[in-house]
Order: sequence, then C-alpha cells, then structure tokens
Amino acid sequence: MEKQTVRKSVLPWWIAGLLLAAVQIAAIGINQPLGVSTQFVVADTQIINTINPEYGQNHPLIGSEKYQKIGYGWWLDIGLIAGAFVASVAIGRWKLQYTTAWWKTNHGPYPLMRFLVCFIGGFLILLGSRFGHGCTSGQFASGWAQLSLSAVPFTITFFGFGMLTAWIFYPKAPVIE
Amino acid sequence: MNFQLNGFLVGFFFGAALYLGGLADPDKIIGTLRLKDFHAMRTIAVFVLVGMLGTWILSLTGHAHYSVKPAALVSVSLGGALLGIGFGMTGFCPGTGLACAAAGRFDALVSILGMLLGAMTYIMLYSKLAVPIEKIANFGNVTLPEITHTSPALWVLPIVIAGGLILGLTAKKK
Repeated sequence: MEKQTVRKSVLPWWIAGLLLAAVQIAAIGINQPLGVSTQFVVADTQIINTINPEYGQNHPLIGSEKYQKIGYGWWLDIGLIAGAFVASVAIGRWKLQYTTAWWKTNHGPYPLMRFLVCFIGGFLILLGSRFGHGCTSGQFASGWAQLSLSAVPFTITFFGFGMLTAWIFYPKAPVIE
Repeated sequence: MNFQLNGFLVGFFFGAALYLGGLADPDKIIGTLRLKDFHAMRTIAVFVLVGMLGTWILSLTGHAHYSVKPAALVSVSLGGALLGIGFGMTGFCPGTGLACAAAGRFDALVSILGMLLGAMTYIMLYSKLAVPIEKIANFGNVTLPEITHTSPALWVLPIVIAGGLILGLTAKKK
C-alpha cells in the first residue's frame, strides 16, 4: 500500500495557540469559559421532550433550565460548526473524507471499521464528558484557565488513557510532513 | 430559540481557529498522543498557558466570568478516562468532532451520532449511577489557589514561565 502522509497544519503552532487563547479570553470576558459538550445533552433533551415531555421535565438533570433552554452555549456550538465550515471552504481544504492517514496506515483503506470505532469512541467521549463535567474545552482548557482543582485529575486520566488507547489502536506511524 | 450573537461569534472564531490551527484534524491528534507529531501538543500548550495568563489578568481587572466545575475527584477521573479512550480511538473530542464534520469528515459525523447516544445514556443513568459517584471525594467548585489558600499569581506565573521556557527550548530551529 502507498505510504500515507499527514499534511501540515495551515497555521504554525504558536499562532494557532494564540488565536485559541484569544477566543478563550474573549469568552471569559463576555460570558463564560469555552465549553461544547453540555449542548449534546441539550440536543437529547429536545428529542426526549418531543417523545416523552413528562419524563424530560421531571428528570433531576435535564428538567433544569440549563438543559431545557436553547441559549448561549447552543449558539456557540452552532457558531463553531459555521466557523469550521467557512474556514475550510475559504482555504480550499473542504473535502468529503471517510478515514484518516493514521487509520489507513494501521488498518487499510476500507473505512467501515473506522466508522464503527468512531461511533463507539463518540459514545465514550460524551459519556466521559458528562462524568467529567466537561470535555477537552470545558474541563481541560477552561479548567486550567481558571486553575480549577477538577482539571488536575481530569488531565491525568484524559491524556494517560488517550495515549495508551492511541498506542493500542495506531501502532504504526504514517509519514508526517 | 432566541438567537445569541455573542455565543455564535465566540463559537465561530473558536471553530475557525480549531480548524486552521490543526486541532480539528484527527491525524494531528493521534500523532500527538503517539508522541510522533508535536504540532497539536504545542498548540494546546500555548492555548492553555496564554488562556491562563489572560484569564488571570482579566480577573485582576474584575472582568472574568468564571465557571469552576465541582472537584468530584472520582467522577472527574472516570470521565477523563472514558473521554481519553474515545479520544485515542477516534482523534476527536466534542468540539473538534463538530468542526471536523463541518469540514467534510463523514467519520466525524458518525462519531457525533455516538456522542448523542453517549449523552442519552448519561441522562438515563443519571440518578442511579452519576449522582452516587458524584458524591465520592467531592471538594466542591474550588480552584487550586482557594484550596491551598495561596495567591493565583503563585500558580499562574510559574506555570506560564516554565511552560513558555519548555516550548521555547524545544522549538525547532529554522
């Protein structure tokens, strides 16, 4: 099989990091630190409300206003989707893709297994984000910005298990530009 | 469905920066977790260090809006582990998953469906599982300076200076 190559990022690391930090500082100045994963529960709450509104409104978690109301955090996620779409189109990198270079290097060209792993991985990602009170944005990046105690154990298990899992799933490396 | 422009704009720039900065790229994330490609790690480090410094300065001027999460050590450690496993399997997290799907990644879209099912499972398990775990070793919504009775400056400045030095010293020479 042809050697897979990982493309360079559009921006160098320090400009990318400074831009993300500027967004974080603006977010904390305007309303609240960055966070993404809560809105997945909000989306599910909307689904539950259409199927069984009584269950949703009496639920100890999603019965609260934070999950019942479409607000700031929802529009942040919609904005995130719009921003990534516009950026990828603007630089001509928008492309329908099914798999990755690391996946193909380790598991071959067929994406079906990749989809299954992505579905199970996505399930664990959001389940973990809820037990963790936030995801990479809300608990890790925003947690450290505020020096939260909760960010310390979260960071250790997040990167520990992340590295271990990546090592199991992706032992062989592609060419990195 | 009241449209909130502030939220939309913050999200818009966040999504664009995640994409252009290479974090919304599962190959870059897996490369960093495998310690083969340090782009994402360095980007994340600058994001966190400068974010920490800026937040501290904002707090000195009284303009920071904090939202400190509860330090429920068992629940948070478990959450970090599950998220880490999903992150290592896919190269996505919730934010970059949305950004990747917006940039044309079908595998990210599949992952988002899994995320919605994960959130649904948490809702279902909430009373029986999440509430009891949340109560174990829970120190409340505290920060490191609060629990140690120290000044935030004693945390922010050493961490930012040490992190900056490491980034500077390990940067590739042109």
